[in-house]
Amino acid sequence: SSSMASAATPKYNSRSLENDSIRRSSRDGFTRDLCEEIPRLPGETRITDKEVIYICPFNGPIKGRVYITNYRLYLRSFETDSGALLDIPLGVIARVEKMGGASSRGENSYGLDITCKDMRNLRFALKQEGHSRRDIFEVLTKYAFPRSHGLPLFAFLNEEKFPENGWMVYNPIEEYRRQGLPNDQWRVSFVNKRFEMCETYPSILVVPYHSTDDDLRKVATFRSRNRIPVLSWIHPENKNVIMRCSQPLVGMGGKRNKDDEKYLDIIREANGQISKLAIFDARPSVNAVANKATGGGYESDDVYHNAEIFFLDIHNIHVMRESLRKLKDIVYPNVEESHWLSSLESTHWLEHVKFVLTGAIQVADKVASGRSSVLVHCSDGWDRTAQLTSLAMLILVYCLITACVNCTVFKLESNTSPCFFQRIGHGEKNHADTDRSPIFLQFMDCVWQMSKQFPTAFEFNEQFLITILDNLYSCRFGTFLFNSEYAREKEKVMMKTLSLWSMINSDKGKYTNPFYTKELNRALYPVASMRHLELWVNYYIRWNTRMRQQQPDPVEQRYMELLALRDEYVKRLEEMKMTNSAKLTSPSASSSAPSQMMPHVQTHF
Amino acid sequence: MEFSELIRTGRAEALLLPGPGQSTVRGTLCITSHHLLLSAGHGSPSDLWLLLHNVDAVEKRVAGNSGTITLKCKDLQVLQLEIEGLGETLDIASSIEALSSLESVTTSYPFFFRPQSLRLGDAEDLYPPDHFYQQVALETDAWRLSTVNRDFQVCASYPPALVVPRGIGDEVLARSAHFRQGGRFPVLSYYHSTNGTVMLRSSQPLQGANRRRCAEDEELLRAALALGGQRGLVLDTRSAQAVKQARITGGGTEAKAAYPGWKRLHRPLERGRPLQDSFVRLVEACTDPSLSMDRWLSRLDGCRWLTHVKEALTTACLVAQGMDREGVCFLVHGAEGTDATLLVTSLAQLILDPKCRTMHGFQSLLEREWIQAGHPFQQRCAHSAYAQGRPKHEAPTFLLFLDCVWQLSRQFPLSLEFGEGMLLALFEHAYASPFGTFLCNSEKERYLCEVKTKTHSLWSSLNQSKERQRFCNPIYSPNPLALWPSVEPQSLQLWAGKVSFPVPLPALSIGSALTGFLPTPNSRPFPPMDSST
Repeated sequence: SSSMASAATPKYNSRSLENDSIRRSSRDGFTRDLCEEIPRLPGETRITDKEVIYICPFNGPIKGRVYITNYRLYLRSFETDSGALLDIPLGVIARVEKMGGASSRGENSYGLDITCKDMRNLRFALKQEGHSRRDIFEVLTKYAFPRSHGLPLFAFLNEEKFPENGWMVYNPIEEYRRQGLPNDQWRVSFVNKRFEMCETYPSILVVPYHSTDDDLRKVATFRSRNRIPVLSWIHPENKNVIMRCSQPLVGMGGKRNKDDEKYLDIIREANGQISKLAIFDARPSVNAVANKATGGGYESDDVYHNAEIFFLDIHNIHVMRESLRKLKDIVYPNVEESHWLSSLESTHWLEHVKFVLTGAIQVADKVASGRSSVLVHCSDGWDRTAQLTSLAMLILVYCLITACVNCTVFKLESNTSPCFFQRIGHGEKNHADTDRSPIFLQFMDCVWQMSKQFPTAFEFNEQFLITILDNLYSCRFGTFLFNSEYAREKEKVMMKTLSLWSMINSDKGKYTNPFYTKELNRALYPVASMRHLELWVNYYIRWNTRMRQQQPDPVEQRYMELLALRDEYVKRLEEMKMTNSAKLTSPSASSSAPSQMMPHVQTHF
Repeated sequence: MEFSELIRTGRAEALLLPGPGQSTVRGTLCITSHHLLLSAGHGSPSDLWLLLHNVDAVEKRVAGNSGTITLKCKDLQVLQLEIEGLGETLDIASSIEALSSLESVTTSYPFFFRPQSLRLGDAEDLYPPDHFYQQVALETDAWRLSTVNRDFQVCASYPPALVVPRGIGDEVLARSAHFRQGGRFPVLSYYHSTNGTVMLRSSQPLQGANRRRCAEDEELLRAALALGGQRGLVLDTRSAQAVKQARITGGGTEAKAAYPGWKRLHRPLERGRPLQDSFVRLVEACTDPSLSMDRWLSRLDGCRWLTHVKEALTTACLVAQGMDREGVCFLVHGAEGTDATLLVTSLAQLILDPKCRTMHGFQSLLEREWIQAGHPFQQRCAHSAYAQGRPKHEAPTFLLFLDCVWQLSRQFPLSLEFGEGMLLALFEHAYASPFGTFLCNSEKERYLCEVKTKTHSLWSSLNQSKERQRFCNPIYSPNPLALWPSVEPQSLQLWAGKVSFPVPLPALSIGSALTGFLPTPNSRPFPPMDSST
C-alpha cells in the first residue's frame, strides 16, 4: 500500500509501526462477541447505550457503541476487537455540549462534545435524523452531574468490597501522638468539636498550651473565615513548628487585634527561642496589599514587631486554572511541535510549579535550620497554604512517607483540608465556576518532581500519583468528596462510601516503588531550578497515542528480580553465619545471634 | 621537541575551589608535560589529575600577589584554581596554554601512557579489518571483501578493507572512487539479515555543473541494488538547494536517469559551523548562572540542539523503517560523507540490529562506522564548547550521535547493554584521552603515526572486567526487536549528564541505587603512569 520509495515525502511515525504489529497480532484472536456485557462495579447500573461515531483525534472516526451507566462511559468499537476504546468515570466530565444542529452539513458535524477534567476532550457524532442525540445528552448530563439533578454521587451507591479499610489509615490523635503531642507547650483543643468556631477546620486542633479556648475564639474573629493559626507539624528536635491559618482581617483602615498579636507571640515563644516568627504569605506582595480592599491583608512589621513577613509570589487559583488551560491547548489533541519548549514556557505551568516548590523549600529550611517557627497563610489558607505546608512536610518528614505508602497524601491533605468540592466540582454541572482550580494537581506535580529528583526516596510510584488524580475526579470513593471534615461528617462519608485507600491498600504492590530505599534518613530538598523541572509527560500527555510509554514497568520488574536475588543471597549468608556461629559458640549464645547480625549484612556482591 | 621548554613554572602552591561535585583541594600544583597535578601530598585521594589536552580554554585573573586560573575543559567541567604568587600564576597559565594546544599526534599523551594492566597491541585482534565482512559472509555470499585501498591510494579516508558487491572488480571501484569526493565510493555499511536489504554509504558524486556521469559508479550501484532488492533510495543529508550549490563547485547528487531504480530523498541535517554554534549556545545556556529562570525553556529551544537530535533520530528511523518494513535499499551520503552520513548509518543500525546494542557490538559499530569510516575526530574534536576564537573544523557530530543513543537508552532502558556512563566516557575520550583510539582523522593517518602499535586501545581498557562492570547497564536484557523511538519533542530530553548546571541535582539516582549492587567504582579510572617529564 504505502510505499516509501514512491511516496513524495515519507514520514516516520513510531506509533504506526507499533500499532501495525499490535493489529496484526490481535486479528488472529478475533472471537470476541461485540454484544458482550460491559464491565461493571457492584452497585453500578446500566442506563442506556447508543450507536455513535467516536471522533478520535489521533486515529480519525471510529464506529462503535457507547454504553452509559450511573458510573461510567464505555465505548466499544465495531471495527476492532481491542476491547474498550474508552472507559471513563462520568465524574471526569466537566461539560457536555451539543455540536452542530439538525441542519448542519458535513460529515460527522452533528453530535456531542465532552470536555473532561483530566486533560482531554471527547467528541461523538450521531445520526442527524430524529433528534438521536437528545436522550443520550440528557442521560449524560444527569449522571455526570448528579448533584445538579438531585441524585446521589456514585460513591454513595458503590458496593465494592475490599479486604482493607482505608478509613482506618488516618487517625488525627494517633498522628499527633507520633509527633510527641500534646506536650508542655502544645495542647489538643476541642473548641471546634462541633465545628462551631470554624466550619472548614477539623474538629481536633493543636494550639499553644498557654492560649485558652476563649483566646482562640477571639483570634478567630480577626482571621478570614475564622481560620486561626493552628499547628501542622512540630520539628522533633528543635521544636520549631509549622502553623497554618488564613489572612488577618486588616482591611483598608489597618485594623489591629491585640489577641491575634498576643497569640502569635505565644507561638513564637513556644519553642523556647527569642528569634522572630517567620510568616510566609504565599501570595505576591501586591496581591496581599490588594486584599486589604476586601477586608483582608497581612501582618505588617510595625504592628507585629516580633514577626518577619516573606511573600512567596505564588499566584491565585485563577492564574493556575488559566495556566493549565494553556497547557492543555498545547498538548491536546496535538502536541505543539515547532518550538515546543517555548510554547511550554509560555503556559507558565512549570514556573508556577517552581514557585510552589521554592516556597515549600523556604518554609522547610526555616523550620529545620532551627532559627524560628513559621506561620503560613495565603488568603483563605486552604489552597496555597495547604500546598506549602504539605510539601514542606514532605521535604522534612520522610518518616511519615515511609510509614505507609498509601496514606501519605491523605494525611497531609486532610490535615489541611483543601476544599475539594469547590475546586473540582464533583457532580456539579457549572463548569465555568470560578472556584474550580487545579490546586491539587499542582501539588501532585510538585510531589512528582520530587520523586523524579529522589527516585529512591519515596515508597510510592508514579502509578500511585496518577491513580489518586484519576480518583480525585471519579466519584468512586468518598476520599476526596466535600470541602471539609464538617461537610464529610454531615454527609456521613465514612459510613456510606469507600475510601480510595481501601482499594490502594488492597493492592499495594502495584503502587510501590521498587527503587525505594529505607536507609535514606534525611530531609529531601529538591532543586527548584527551571533547569531541573520537567513536564510530567506521563500525566499531561498520556492520551496522545503518539506518546510512547517510556517502559517503566520492565525496569521495575527487573529491579524487583534483582532485589529478590539479593534477599536470597542475604538469607543464604545468614544461614551460613548461623551454621558457623553454632559451631563456634554455645547454643545459648547463638539464639540471639541472628538479630544482631542483621545490620552487618552488606549487599555488595 | 622538548616539553620542558614550554613549562615556565613547574610548581606552585594552589587551592582548587569547589565546584559542583568537587571538593576543595589545597596543595602543590605541578605541571608535567601532559598533566596538571594538584596534590595535598602523600597521594591523597582528592588529588586532581587533569590531562592538559582536556583544557579547552584558560582564563586568568590576577589581584595583588595571587591569581585565579579558570580551566574550562573539553569534557565541560570547569576548574577554578587560586594560585599564590603573581608570576607563578602567569607562568602556569601560559604553560597550560602552550601544552594544551600542541597539535602533534606522536608526542601526545597516548604515546606515553603505559598502564600496567594492559599490553600494547592487545586490541589489534578485537576488531580486525575483515570482522564486518565475516559477519556478512555468514548470511550471504553476494558481497566480497576488497583490498583495493590496501595502501590508501584509492581513498585516503577509507580503511584498507571494504565490503562491495561480489561481481564488481577492483578497477571498477577505483574508477567509481574517482567520481566521488575524496574517493569515497559506495561501500556496504549494513546488511539487514531479516530481509536482505542493504545500506550503503559514500560521499557525493562529482557531478558538477555539466552533470558528469561515471559508468563504473552506475554499475556499482546497479549491482548493489540487484543484490539487495529492487528499490533503492538515495538519502541525501543535504537540502535540494544545498545540492544545487554543491554542483557549482563540482559536487552534486545521483541523477535519476543515470541510476535506474534509485530514487532520491533529501533530509537536511545540520553539520559543521551551525552544529558547533548550537553546541556552544547550549553549554552557554546551561552554565549561565545569571539566566533568569523563566527564560530557560525558550533559551533551550533557541539553541536548537534538541531539534538536531530530533532530526538525526527521525532520519535514522526513516532509513530503518524503509529497510525493515518496505524492503528498500539505501545509499546515504551528504557532501564528504564523513559526518551526517555516519550519524545516520550508525543510528539506523542501532535501531535495527540487536547485535549493535551489546557492549562488544557497540564498540564494533563505533570502530567500523566512525573510526575506520574516517570521521575526522582530530579536526572535529580539536575544541569543545569553551574555546575562544574562530572554530576551524570543529563540530560535535559524534556528541550528537551519543546524545541520540542516550535518548534511545532512555526510551528503551533494558535494550542497551551499556549505560549512560559508557556514553559519557566516550564523549570524554573523543575529546581528550590517554588512549589512541580516537586519535587522528583516518586509518591512513593512524597507520603513519603507528597509533595501533604505540598506544593503548580504549576498548581493551573498557573490556577489562572491572571497567566493563562500571559501564554496563545492570538491567540489560537482550531485545530481538527493532527499537522504534518516539521522536516527538516532548519525548526528547536534554541529556544533562554532559553539562554541569550551576545548581546540580542531588547525587541520588536510580543509577546510584543500582551501583549498590556493584563494587565501588574507582574514582580515578586512568591514573597517569608516564615517565616523559
